[in-house]
Amino acid sequence: MKRKNVGLLAATFVASPVLAGIVYSALAAVHLAGPARSGLSTDSIRVVLADRVTWSGLGFTVWVAAASTLLACLLAMGLAFLFRGHNRLDRLARVLAIAPLPLPHAVAALCGVLILSQSGVLARMAAAVHLASSPQAMPALIYDRWGIGLILALTWKEVPFLALLAFSALATSGNLLEEAARSLGAGPLATFRRAIFPALWRGMLPGVVAVFTFVAGNYEAAALLAPSAPLAFPLLTIERYRDSALSVRADAYALVLIAAFISISVIALHEWIVAQTEALT
Amino acid sequence: MASACASESPKPTMDVAGMPWEGIVARSRGTVVRWRMWRGDPSINSYIDQWVAPRLFRDYGITLQTVDGQGAEIVNQLVVEREAHATGSTDLVWINGDTFRNLRKERLLWGPWAQRLPNAAFVDSGSPTIMRDFEQPLEGMESPWGRVQLALIYDTSKVAEPPRTVAELAKWIRAHPGRFTHDQEFTGMTFLKSVMYALSGGAGAFQNGFDERRYRRGSERLWSWLDSVRPFFWRRGTTYPAGVADLHRLFANGEIDFTMSYNQNEVVTKIRQGILPPTSRALVLRDASIANSHYLGIPLGARNPAGAMVVANFLLSPAAQFEKLRPEVWADGTVLDAHKLPSEWSARFRAIGSDPHAAPMDTLARYAQPEIAPEYQERLISDWRSRIRARAE
Repeated sequence: MKRKNVGLLAATFVASPVLAGIVYSALAAVHLAGPARSGLSTDSIRVVLADRVTWSGLGFTVWVAAASTLLACLLAMGLAFLFRGHNRLDRLARVLAIAPLPLPHAVAALCGVLILSQSGVLARMAAAVHLASSPQAMPALIYDRWGIGLILALTWKEVPFLALLAFSALATSGNLLEEAARSLGAGPLATFRRAIFPALWRGMLPGVVAVFTFVAGNYEAAALLAPSAPLAFPLLTIERYRDSALSVRADAYALVLIAAFISISVIALHEWIVAQTEALT
Repeated sequence: MASACASESPKPTMDVAGMPWEGIVARSRGTVVRWRMWRGDPSINSYIDQWVAPRLFRDYGITLQTVDGQGAEIVNQLVVEREAHATGSTDLVWINGDTFRNLRKERLLWGPWAQRLPNAAFVDSGSPTIMRDFEQPLEGMESPWGRVQLALIYDTSKVAEPPRTVAELAKWIRAHPGRFTHDQEFTGMTFLKSVMYALSGGAGAFQNGFDERRYRRGSERLWSWLDSVRPFFWRRGTTYPAGVADLHRLFANGEIDFTMSYNQNEVVTKIRQGILPPTSRALVLRDASIANSHYLGIPLGARNPAGAMVVANFLLSPAAQFEKLRPEVWADGTVLDAHKLPSEWSARFRAIGSDPHAAPMDTLARYAQPEIAPEYQERLISDWRSRIRARAE
């Protein structure tokens, strides 16, 4: 068998659970499988596409995923740049930056509740210094319209993963490029712009895509920190899946297809960017 | 350990239905019973894991394996298993209401079997709350297990004079902006249904099956009531806690002055667990307290229906029901009729004292209203999501 065919076979094998899930979701969304099986019907797809809640939930989820991924990315880059040296302090800082990596997302979200809620640690500190007299006097940072608390918790959770990639990117190619740029007379800003940033960006891009898609589909953090309106896409999907009316459960599969489409689009965008970058270099 | 000693459960056979009880008990010995149930409360888990499971193994040689899953998840799981021709992962399910309706509609329940349990003779068969599950006749397809009633919970150190009716509650909410809300799941929606009862003259306005006209009349009253009080809800009614656990947390942290539970005695167990303050008390609104029962069913295709029947029978025994009722265990209401029990058990049930944090038994009984057809709750949830919750966007 040709090497190319073996690669294709392996890729199909790896992707097969996802493909099976998509096929099953497609069948369940048109009422040919699953709890709402009742004969071919496109009702659920039409209901989901026409429902304002679908699009507001999707908008909220994309906003939260984009904001937390961007913030985590910037912080990870900053950490990698600041602590890229070889002394003991830099090494210690790198270890501390990735220490929260094994924590589950649910724990990060619970920390968000404990710290950011209107009766949380921040509120109690504000009360202690007479800045807030009651929970209602504190700004709403969780269950809030813009998902501030959710974004902060997810950012904190994703920084260690992206920082790990950033440290690795600089260690493998960034330091060499930096030394080369410096030896050619580049100033600090030019060195960062021409040598360090491109090395970081290339090394982190797959991780950024993974973080975005993972955060967009994350249920636990949204369940603990997101508002009830707009309803985050994963919460909406589970809510429909658990609806007491069996026919409504098909809506959940239609929502899963939308989520799968977005994830695949983001991955395709990543591949396109990589291809463009390779073509330029 | 225990599970390693148990042999593989026997394949289900139709003859279980006609087998004498002694034969069923003999067949279940040395088997595993897989029970899909809600595992979200440490008190319930402790009762099942520490009290029920060891006794089942000791007395019947049955190894009890519990798996987390409730309501809609059970229906989805059983449907998917049937599609995959892989039934048999579950022998027993904890259900009621729309789950019972959906499982029967999908023909996913095995039975009838419940009336064959020896301990079924002790069940309070005169109680419509027990013998009808959201107005649906049991027909031997599920066995009663426990009885609960909706109650609000308030903190006596913060609310000196709690409201006693829905009208008084509305007045209280307006006078205390930001101090009341409800959750988005089953308990919160049952609270809204109880308000709908109160605004419509009681459950009688909705009994004897689902009626669109009656639903519209009742629900319009509810939406008007909500429109009048919602601006005074926590966060002005723009967002709602996901579930009752989040509601309890807001209450315990002093963000709101009321929480609620679809178990009149949950206040007792939650105080003991340190989740609610010791000054918490249950409160029954005179015109808005719904009572219902919960049940055990056996899925069609269960590998061990005999073992499941023995477990259900054990859970109906006076000893198991008494232990479950104790405030320091779970405080779940019994489905047994004290008059039908042997005298020593009857006396023990009567002697069990009501915890001072819980609502008195006679108050609960006086104001209890029955559940109505599950379609009412289904429509109420759907319309609340689109008419009230989505409007906050």
